[in-house]
Amino acid sequence: MDAAGSRPAVVIDNGTGYTKTGFAGNVEPSFILPTVVAVNESFVNQSRASSKKGSNWLAQHSAGVMADLDFYIGEEALTRSKSSSTYNLSYPIKHGQVDNWDAMERFWQQCIYNYLRCDPEDHYFLLTESPLTAPESREYTGEIMFETFNVPGLYIAVQPVLALAAGYTTSKCEMTGVVVDVGDGATHVVPVADGYVIGSSIKSIPVAGKDVTRFIQQLMRERGEHIPPEESLEVARKVKEMYCYTCSDIVKEFNKHDKEPAKFVKQWRGTKPKTGAPYSCDIGYERFLGPEVFFNPEIYSNDFITPLPEVIDKCIQSAPIDTRRALYKNIVLSGGSTMFKDFNRRLQRDLKKIVDARFELSDARIRGEVKARPVEVNVVSHPIQRNAVWFGGSVLASTPEFFKACHTKAEYEEYGASICRTNPVFKGMY
Amino acid sequence: MILLQSPSRYLLQILSTRVQNLEKGVELDCQWIEFDDVRYHIQASTKNPNLLVLSVSLPTPPPETVFFGGLPPEAIEAIKAAYGTVVHILDPPKDGFNLTVKLNLSKLPPDEEHRQALLGKIASIREVVQGAPLRAVLKQLVSRTVKSDLNKLISLVHRPNESFFVVPQADKVTVVFPMRFKDSIDSILATSFLQEFVDARRTAGLGNAPHYLWSPSPPQELEGAPAEALLANAGFVSFVISPRHVQGRKLDKTVWSLSTFHAYVSYHVKCSEGFMHTRMRRRVESLIEALDRAKPDWKKVKRAVQTRSFKRLSINDGRATSNSRN
Repeated sequence: MDAAGSRPAVVIDNGTGYTKTGFAGNVEPSFILPTVVAVNESFVNQSRASSKKGSNWLAQHSAGVMADLDFYIGEEALTRSKSSSTYNLSYPIKHGQVDNWDAMERFWQQCIYNYLRCDPEDHYFLLTESPLTAPESREYTGEIMFETFNVPGLYIAVQPVLALAAGYTTSKCEMTGVVVDVGDGATHVVPVADGYVIGSSIKSIPVAGKDVTRFIQQLMRERGEHIPPEESLEVARKVKEMYCYTCSDIVKEFNKHDKEPAKFVKQWRGTKPKTGAPYSCDIGYERFLGPEVFFNPEIYSNDFITPLPEVIDKCIQSAPIDTRRALYKNIVLSGGSTMFKDFNRRLQRDLKKIVDARFELSDARIRGEVKARPVEVNVVSHPIQRNAVWFGGSVLASTPEFFKACHTKAEYEEYGASICRTNPVFKGMY
Repeated sequence: MILLQSPSRYLLQILSTRVQNLEKGVELDCQWIEFDDVRYHIQASTKNPNLLVLSVSLPTPPPETVFFGGLPPEAIEAIKAAYGTVVHILDPPKDGFNLTVKLNLSKLPPDEEHRQALLGKIASIREVVQGAPLRAVLKQLVSRTVKSDLNKLISLVHRPNESFFVVPQADKVTVVFPMRFKDSIDSILATSFLQEFVDARRTAGLGNAPHYLWSPSPPQELEGAPAEALLANAGFVSFVISPRHVQGRKLDKTVWSLSTFHAYVSYHVKCSEGFMHTRMRRRVESLIEALDRAKPDWKKVKRAVQTRSFKRLSINDGRATSNSRN
């Protein structure tokens, strides 16, 4: 094996909201950055004007450098764009799909050189993609990785499979299960049988972390809390991350809040970005109403009204019949938006209700002649759930088999970007 | 980002979160690799949250470079001078590493500013260790002490099995880099880059910059260097450092820039490749647009582009392809 094989692989999990990046073999990613790029585009137009007027070397140089290198990613991008108006924010990933490849390439460049500070020629790379990624975008990813960064090997893994693999280290190795991946921009319910994705049964719903944020923002605005408008989305996001929880029953929860406001209503304090004046606001019902959009989407949108447990049930019912019991038994949560307290319990209870109702119905139809074994429903939640995909990638990339499964630079040069087109876990789909 | 920064971002992040949450004292064990094959491993236990054990491994030196006890010359002195009591060197180092140190966070300076500065300094441990011999040579230039080994070729490691060369003279130090790149495209881009530097040096604003030379063949300073060190596919770069470049605080910066020069060039080669890709993509888009405009019903086409295209195969197609694969 070449020298790169002896070094740990770089694992980058690009999500809509946050990108998790680090080296294989570690428990936690080194950096968790918001997936955002702040680009200074003011120089792009100037460079054309100045280059026409004769070749002033320095002007050309600085214009080139500015257009080429003057950008920031992650938290730095957010602070830069706040403090000056020359930087425009661009979000390279939308709804789990790469939308702007220029921004994405720049994001990777900074991830590798400025954050991880590694030489991409020295490491194998593991990137992730959502289960609905088009083969074309996989080719694009391969092209950028091999052409620009000269990586020796690349593996593009499917996020839900990695989330399942994250449970690999515990005593059993279960590669059959349903992954409920609720990220910031997309929610997917993906059944996996023996490590292969059942492509035809993937369900995705248009409610994700971003919608929870928007719903909280809307609630707070309607109640008339005094939050500066330019801050309101940011405050809503913080409220979601710090105070939200899942309740078992909305009506009871409303009563609880009304009886003991001191215990349940929280305070948010901040300073206005323009004037620097402090302000504060209450955080009330949105604490439990935010996560409720997954269980009762009709409170948020009119177009989509199927609750998440029902979607999961439908997904499993559409999977091959011999896998269904195993799928019900291992429902794995992954992604930042499943981190609400008691999210797993609520999901399990609601799903169990649906399954039991159907079970009783069929029991009544048979009228007790044959007794069926009850279906076990189990929603698994583990402490590293937020970074489950990254951790799964880290586990996978530290096995010796990983280096054999990678597409190598030599293969790329022989066959071109088409080697990245298909993913072996979608066996028989393409 | 134009220049590579000397403190390791991740190490700095670990240290500052550790200092902030000292009473929590979580278990810590992670390792990572930086460019030029510098490996780090940091460990901490819950028993004594103030103690961190940091191991660093440097790139393997080529035969012409001398290491003393697994470290570049002068490194131990440099560490002691830079960190004082906060850092304690453990001997022997951990298996597979060149240096293991114990960090004692309780001995950090109490005021915020000094503490941050020292944490930043600890995060740039590779600059201190790897740059130690170069720093010693440049310091002699400042103090103008006449040294016995004048005009003698010193080789210093900067990449695995690769070294660069330093020739100390009475009033200047010449630093020569043989530039090697694995990829043929990289080496072409780098060569044109390095040639461009020669022109750039001549412009008015850069009169104080060090003298810079690029040549495709080994310069005469490298006489007596081993033959395998004289193979370079992107030519040879030499900088002439005079005392004014290493005065006072400039010394640290110069040491860092010189010892990571290869990484710097390679970073910019990758950046320009990325920039070219951006422009190629833009060009393809404009060409596609032009093609679309030529179509009689291009408005309809435009609408179709927006919906994501999936090549859906029927079951029969899928079977056919899987059969042909078997």
